[in-house]
Amino acid sequence: MKDRLAAALKSSRADYTEIRVERTWSSAVTFRGRRLETATVSEDQGGFVRALNHGCGWGIASFTSLDALPAMVARAHELSRAVRLDKPISLADTVPQVADAALDLDGDVRGISLAEKKRLIEAYNGAMLAVSDAVVDTQAIYRDEVSEVWYVNSEGTALALLRPEVAISGTAIARRNGTIEKGLESIGLRKGWRSVHGLENTFSVVARRAVDLLDAPRVQGGAYPVILDNELAGVFVHEAFGHLSEADFVYENPQAREMMTLGRRFGKPVLNVGDNGAAKGLRGTLPFDDEGTPTQDTPLIKGGILVGRLHSRETAAALGERPTGNARAISFRHPPIVRMTNTYIAPGPTGRTFADLIKDVKLGVYACGAFGGQTMLENFSFTAAWGHMIRDGQIAELVKDVVLAGNLFQTLDRIDHIAGDFTWNQMGGGCGKGGQSPLPVTEGAPHVRIEEILVGGDV
Amino acid sequence: MIDRLLEAARSSTDAGGADALWRREERTAIAFESGRLKTAGITEEAGINLRVVSGGRMGVAGTTAATPDLAELVARARASAELGEHLDLAFPVTASLPRVPTFFDRAVNASLDQLIALGRGLAERLAREGCQVNVAIEREVGETAVGNSAGARGGYPATGVGVTAEIIRIAADDVLMIYDQYVGGDLPTDGDLDALVRSIETRLESALTIVSPPEGALPVVFTPAGLSAIVLPLEQALSGKTVLQGSSPLAERIGAQAFDTRLSITDDPLAPGGPASRPLDDECVPSARTALVERGIVRGFVYDLETAARAKARSTGHGRRGVFGKPMIRYTNLIVGEASRDVGAQHAAPLLGGGLIADIQDGLIVDDLIGVGQGNVIGGGFSHPVGLAYRVQRGEITGRVKDAAVAGNVYDLLKRIGGFGSDGRWLGSRWSPSLRLEGVSVARR
Repeated sequence: MKDRLAAALKSSRADYTEIRVERTWSSAVTFRGRRLETATVSEDQGGFVRALNHGCGWGIASFTSLDALPAMVARAHELSRAVRLDKPISLADTVPQVADAALDLDGDVRGISLAEKKRLIEAYNGAMLAVSDAVVDTQAIYRDEVSEVWYVNSEGTALALLRPEVAISGTAIARRNGTIEKGLESIGLRKGWRSVHGLENTFSVVARRAVDLLDAPRVQGGAYPVILDNELAGVFVHEAFGHLSEADFVYENPQAREMMTLGRRFGKPVLNVGDNGAAKGLRGTLPFDDEGTPTQDTPLIKGGILVGRLHSRETAAALGERPTGNARAISFRHPPIVRMTNTYIAPGPTGRTFADLIKDVKLGVYACGAFGGQTMLENFSFTAAWGHMIRDGQIAELVKDVVLAGNLFQTLDRIDHIAGDFTWNQMGGGCGKGGQSPLPVTEGAPHVRIEEILVGGDV
Repeated sequence: MIDRLLEAARSSTDAGGADALWRREERTAIAFESGRLKTAGITEEAGINLRVVSGGRMGVAGTTAATPDLAELVARARASAELGEHLDLAFPVTASLPRVPTFFDRAVNASLDQLIALGRGLAERLAREGCQVNVAIEREVGETAVGNSAGARGGYPATGVGVTAEIIRIAADDVLMIYDQYVGGDLPTDGDLDALVRSIETRLESALTIVSPPEGALPVVFTPAGLSAIVLPLEQALSGKTVLQGSSPLAERIGAQAFDTRLSITDDPLAPGGPASRPLDDECVPSARTALVERGIVRGFVYDLETAARAKARSTGHGRRGVFGKPMIRYTNLIVGEASRDVGAQHAAPLLGGGLIADIQDGLIVDDLIGVGQGNVIGGGFSHPVGLAYRVQRGEITGRVKDAAVAGNVYDLLKRIGGFGSDGRWLGSRWSPSLRLEGVSVARR
């Protein structure tokens, strides 16, 4: 394959050319209620070519027929030539990389029968159904893949990568008369078959939570002190700050550059945020991004001050900064764009516990688990899976529909305490941006306290 | 390809039958970033999806390989069926198909330069000091062929055009994002583009002043874009799948007055030029209109072949399949509105508020909510921070509000609708006017 790509690269007349070819083997088993929905094995393959000429824009071609590769190299060059630019695009320098990088398959999923995968997820689905008659519907999904990726560019980079992934998720719907509630948990790992065993209890807990929420009141709307559990704090940092630090948001927009000037204070000295694509064994981990740049740990906020951002080669050149290895594409169908990898809030002082955070909260909300989050840059939402009221420093009644309304400039600055109990939360699903979803990412955080934030609900 | 595949399936399986879909798509996409053309790209994709019933069990397999090994594909579908559930699946026989235009010469023939000129024109009209303008144009030309072992065959060529425009205005620490789109089978007309520009301008002008949000149970006008949070729970509840699973709140309510007597919801795959119009679905079922809610009364649900077979119902022609996986229920063009109104051709709504705000003393117009789809959607409850919303005081828009959240339950709120706007439009494949709902909870910091 490498020779084939090298030959195609040689034929290109463009100033810069890159080619990515992927072959992805995947299997999936889904249960819905008591019934198996599907059990499938699939093979997807295709290629992507991107060309750039001086004084011109990007020309892009993606395709499923690899026989078309030479023709697509020519097409990408022509498309680039069709885009005339007054201000040329430049790419920050990187050292050409030549590597064969295989991540640990941890029990190659390709060697496990579909029947075995069915047995595993059927047991997890059964664990949800067994919780209560009130559990009227479930969805349990097992999904795995092994993706072989070849990447070459005209600067001499030539990579052969092997990327495994395994994900399982459980959704339980509980119902009593007109009231319907949902429990959701997902786990996504850049690992293999051995990593997803022994999770029956996780699935039971999901269903139990959906049932418990049937009797819980909706949270009363208003501004509260809120403590986020590790999982929701991870979603929070992804939405609240991760997307803002993607440099494609600022590099073409002078007002955005000003707003996001390095050195600006966004939080109190307790706040430290970063993105680490090189962390060991996480779902967002990659040795190289989809431009062949090695990944790294990039500090974004240090002591409350903005110190860095995430880059592709193009955004780094435009801002005179260094590429960070954050140009990622979800598949050969898409160009690489600036994305997060493993984004984290660093732990607070060792020994600071959840109990320290809650003890002086008179009336507040403990927001737990995550149904999701979304950002419109300044304003963002993050939706807890469930919550508890905090009364006089103690966890009180269960509440539901806990949706937090964040504001970049106010919410980060109101983080006043960060616990020392950091964990990575390897959720399934993924991040969506620019029509590319779901991208595997990981978030990590300890318990985090926000002095005051708006919680939606009846008033 | 379909015939050869079905033949390969027939000769290697028992008499259970099979169906298949082949689809080829070619997309041309251009993107203007900050008013400058930055990228031009093409995508060529083809794939085939096979479903077999073997030993009374269903299995599926798909491939994007250019010259697929049909025997291998059949073997993979059979292996999938070995684990599958029993299913009494009856494949539809040959039927005459309704005529609906899906292929537009103007869209196919538009050259790259023409698409670039269209985008440049739009970017220039939207350009203004202190604003970043992003415009993207995508043109898709596709071909679909479906067939089954009962002899049904169908297929159609299709074109699709998407134009999206976005303004990002950053003033000090205020970030304002305004977005609109045209999605249709044909290229947009000059009128469509005018409406798109005016729609964004109207939203922008009214947003320049920031006012404090109100608080309490208030009248809220949901624009066609803002309505997503209200429509999503209904889309889930009106799917034959959730009905079958026992999780739909509307499951036992066929014939019941569940909503305001003026509310009707129809799925219409035959809407001329509709973004999701087509003569048949991906399971060879001819397209037809499906009444879901008529004058507030629940009339029906949408089904694909499998869900219909399990629910002892008939497929409404809502099977949609990709290259991988099995067919699933998918709506086509969803028409939400007042029973008496006709569906128009409007793709963008320059009017903000739909003519529904004159008698609002204090309330909101909600054009965009954040986090839609991420809560307990099937239950009908929603709670979202506003992404783009305007305050209405004494019948007039007084400015944009930030840091507010709206919440409610769609089943309560839709029992009494305060009014349907005169601004009905397409938004993707949904057509609706603005809807005014009373007593929506608005919380603020």
